Amino acid sequence: MTVVIDALMYLGYVLIFPGFLFCFLAGMLLCGIDRKLVAKMQKRVGPPVLQPFYDFFKLCGKETIVPDAAEGICFMFAPLLGLAALVVIQLFIPVFGFTAISGMADIVVILYLLLIPAVSIILGGAASGSPYAGVGLSREMVTIISCELPLVLVLLAVAKTVGDAMGTGLCFSLRGIAEYQAANGSLICRISMLPAAAAMLLIIPGETGNHPFDAAEAETEICEGLLAEYSGAPLAVFKLSHAVKMLTLTSLFAALFLGGLGTGMVVLDALLLFVICAVLTALTISFVHAVTARLKIEQIFKYYWTVVTLLAAVSLVLAWYGL
Amino acid sequence: MNYLGNILSYQHFPIYAIMVLFLGSFLIAVFGENRIARNILALLSVTAALGFVAALIKPVLMDGEIISYWMGAREPAGGYAIGIALEVDALSLFFALLVSLAVFVSGVYSIQYMNRDHNEKEYYTLYLLLCGGVMGMVLSGDLFNMFIMVEILTFAAVALTAFRNTARGAVEAAFKYLVVGCMGSTCILAGTAMLYAQTHTLNLAQLAQLVPGDVNTATKVAFALLFVGFGTKAFIVPFHPLAADAHGAAPASISVIISGVLTKSGIYGIIRITYFLFQSMGLGTMQFLLVFIGSLSMFVCVTMALAQHDFKRLLAFHSISQIGYVLTAVGLCTALGVSAGLYHAINHTLFKGLLFLAAGAVLHETGTTDLNKLGGLAKKMPHTTVLFLIGAFSISGLPPFNGFASKWLIYQASYQKAVESGNIGFLLVTVIALVTSVLTLASFVKVSHSVFFGQLPPELENVREVSWGMRLAMGIFALLCLVTGLFPGLVTGYLTEPAATAVFNVSQYIEAMGFDGSAAVQPEAGSFQYVGAWDPVSWLLVLCIALLAVTIAAAAGKYGNFSRNRAARREDKYQLFYGGEAQELSQLGGDDLFWGFKHNWRGYFNYMHRMHSGIVNDYALWAVIDLALVMLFSLIVL
Amino acid sequence: MFKRLIEESTEKSPWLFHINAGSCNGCDIELVSILTPRYDAERLGFKLAGSPRHADIVVVTGPVTKQSLPRVLRTIAQVPEPRCIVTMGSCPQSGNVFRGSYSIAGPLSKYVPVDVDVAGCAPKPEAIIDGLALAAKMLREKRGQKK
Repeated sequence: MTVVIDALMYLGYVLIFPGFLFCFLAGMLLCGIDRKLVAKMQKRVGPPVLQPFYDFFKLCGKETIVPDAAEGICFMFAPLLGLAALVVIQLFIPVFGFTAISGMADIVVILYLLLIPAVSIILGGAASGSPYAGVGLSREMVTIISCELPLVLVLLAVAKTVGDAMGTGLCFSLRGIAEYQAANGSLICRISMLPAAAAMLLIIPGETGNHPFDAAEAETEICEGLLAEYSGAPLAVFKLSHAVKMLTLTSLFAALFLGGLGTGMVVLDALLLFVICAVLTALTISFVHAVTARLKIEQIFKYYWTVVTLLAAVSLVLAWYGL
Repeated sequence: MNYLGNILSYQHFPIYAIMVLFLGSFLIAVFGENRIARNILALLSVTAALGFVAALIKPVLMDGEIISYWMGAREPAGGYAIGIALEVDALSLFFALLVSLAVFVSGVYSIQYMNRDHNEKEYYTLYLLLCGGVMGMVLSGDLFNMFIMVEILTFAAVALTAFRNTARGAVEAAFKYLVVGCMGSTCILAGTAMLYAQTHTLNLAQLAQLVPGDVNTATKVAFALLFVGFGTKAFIVPFHPLAADAHGAAPASISVIISGVLTKSGIYGIIRITYFLFQSMGLGTMQFLLVFIGSLSMFVCVTMALAQHDFKRLLAFHSISQIGYVLTAVGLCTALGVSAGLYHAINHTLFKGLLFLAAGAVLHETGTTDLNKLGGLAKKMPHTTVLFLIGAFSISGLPPFNGFASKWLIYQASYQKAVESGNIGFLLVTVIALVTSVLTLASFVKVSHSVFFGQLPPELENVREVSWGMRLAMGIFALLCLVTGLFPGLVTGYLTEPAATAVFNVSQYIEAMGFDGSAAVQPEAGSFQYVGAWDPVSWLLVLCIALLAVTIAAAAGKYGNFSRNRAARREDKYQLFYGGEAQELSQLGGDDLFWGFKHNWRGYFNYMHRMHSGIVNDYALWAVIDLALVMLFSLIVL
Repeated sequence: MFKRLIEESTEKSPWLFHINAGSCNGCDIELVSILTPRYDAERLGFKLAGSPRHADIVVVTGPVTKQSLPRVLRTIAQVPEPRCIVTMGSCPQSGNVFRGSYSIAGPLSKYVPVDVDVAGCAPKPEAIIDGLALAAKMLREKRGQKK
């Protein structure tokens, strides 16, 4: 009996909260808020906040064209894999006190799980056979390489800080990080973590492929790159994945640096998390989008491996000496 | 009956495992004209070797026994080991298992892979000679015997590198390998001779007893010689260009052996001399040497791989990069580190074997491994593509495949080492390892785009899927990649932890051969405490549920509702978008795909390009410089 | 319910793909102007798509030269259904001042069914938005007919 209830509970986690339903609603809303805010910052009226939902459903109703040159199975299956992998990551990220599934993966694992959606979009694009997708693939991969180094440093800095405080030397567990913050206040209040938090904020638009780091999907020069040949429902799934990725990264930031704010009630926490994610989105994605122009791919790489890496490294060194 | 029971006792199995391979080699040389006899003999000997080694799992890995075997029952006399000995502890058996497994799968693959070549008799003779050499080396309990086996395997490998001597560069590659390989072998011989002069014994156990008590200039020089000698066998920096040439020229089934097995024998040699003979792994300097060279190999070779445009050369550089992971982890000198390193050694054999076999399959069907000439093979070779992707995901460390499981342990081990020792240098190692991992992913994205996805060039229109035997061989590796990735607990519990324990149990190793091991200096091992959490089975389960949910939702929404009408698909609508132009072949070239990355590192890449001149004199010079540096290092610092 | 949702959304999220069939660049600039803060067509969900595969509405400008004709037709064919074709400016409708030239293959309606014509040289942004909004409505109708 308990097995059945457990199974149902996990199914609920996967399907409703913090799984698909939450990801779908929150991710799409974040995306809508982002578009609205960018419009406002540019003194436009902007699309309705629900615009991403309209886009999604419209795309679902469109015809799906699989080009003759494409490898059909990989082309159609890649979007689904990417979305599923993203939703699973969301299950591991604690919502303040509440974690759907803990003890199964920690921050370095999350680092690698974040590669799966990226790889799936790359494989899907590569399978379409389009040369635009080839260029997009190259840029997407370089963007991933760019973000990886600072992200690694940020995660190591957090692991060291929390581990030091807990006496274990290093702590990779997200739950451990959440518990530490619940007991000692958010990590962002520590001096050593400030540069890391700043670096992480700068990483978010890069990881999600938002402006100005969207060289991989530059619609004006390489016809949306990897997505060039996608139409209809698979494209809708990719657009959804992009929205969910914004949610995932902002909530990862919340879990790493803003833990311990929770109220203890899951529903309120979920709302609070959404608000935090929205603020972070406004800060890191919308604002940056509104004031910058797209960078070239080698500039993206250079930017991440110098400025952002330096920030993260400073944080790591500070954490190393226990500040 | 008793006699029969005696010769079937597992005490004899190590020598049988070596013998069947050599015996098979000689029998094929004699009776190998007949194709069927040849294939049966080859398969029989590799299967028998695998069987003998597998039968030793129970006593050695599980019960912790150390098998000591004196050839011809010539036991030590007067306290000195005169006879030739085999000594099989968990570490030896661990490597022997890897060897026999890779040899077996590669043997299965060879049967159909080599069917278009001539001189198959010579191929199998040399092949089994190579395998026997590696097997003999890892099971040997005698330093000089190790040298003999190294010579056998080097010459067999050189001959096999030049096997397709009509192909461009094969003879040149073999020549380079011969020159630098011989320098390495000479180093090993010189090191062995110097140790023999000092201690009057060649037995590893006795050396392990005598050398640490008497470390003088001569033994330090001997250490440097041995380290560099085994380094050439493992192709670690600065010997990596040889690997690229050799792998590029050799048949794929041989690349599996060279990469999965031969380099491991080098690693095995390095572990033996550093942990057993010199027992100084507690020393920070020795750790520095291993970790430094390991990290260097890791990073240099992955960047070299990014610049390649030949499938097999690219794999060759990755091979060394992964060996760098193994060496780094082993050099950490913690139980966790050694265990992680050995785990990665298994995984490397599996996924690199798989990738080389996939490259071989592509070569077999298309006749080229040039990334710029291939493309779109996924439609023609779907099974090979899936198998290749499994290998590619494994090596780039994507969960849930095995590469992630071991890399994850390596990160933990190095970071824990950094925290425990307070040495920020080890932190750098963790970061290099993580960055190398993502660069590896980049380079395999490149391969999968250039070979399997993208557009199909018209001249490859008639390519077919490879035969079932080759797919079977790849399938075995792919399955093992998944299994070792999904059950890391089993692998660490039954394979790597016993082997790692053996590494830290030097006195037991000495005493098993009847010498006094009480004085052995044993490095502090620490415990097998895993810091992180990673539960691949549950993760995969959750992912499958999620995937199922999406797929059902997609199927309900008529997701896959697209035209399957072949004739209709020739219409404009189903052609690729070319900005309005008619569809044409424009596959993106492989060599400079990640120019956004390379542009920023152009100084480094240009420098590397100049350094890797392809001239054997240069590489020989590198070997000499490396030897000089290691010698200086060991004389001054050790 | 989903069917209604999809139809509703089809009208609210029309993505444009712009083809220049030999235009003098006047209409092209005017088309971009509808996305500026002053006119902001994004409030109606309009967005410029980078690839015809993503588009719902194909906007053709220019008199459709002989050189561009096969490219225009090919690109239009690559847009998934339901789709609307909008000609913008007088050129694709009549040839405008280029009418009778040896290099002109237009008007476009000879080759594909055109849904909306926005006349003018170049049309006013208000007219363009009006035309596009009409096309968006037609998209919904087309979607309704299909199912």
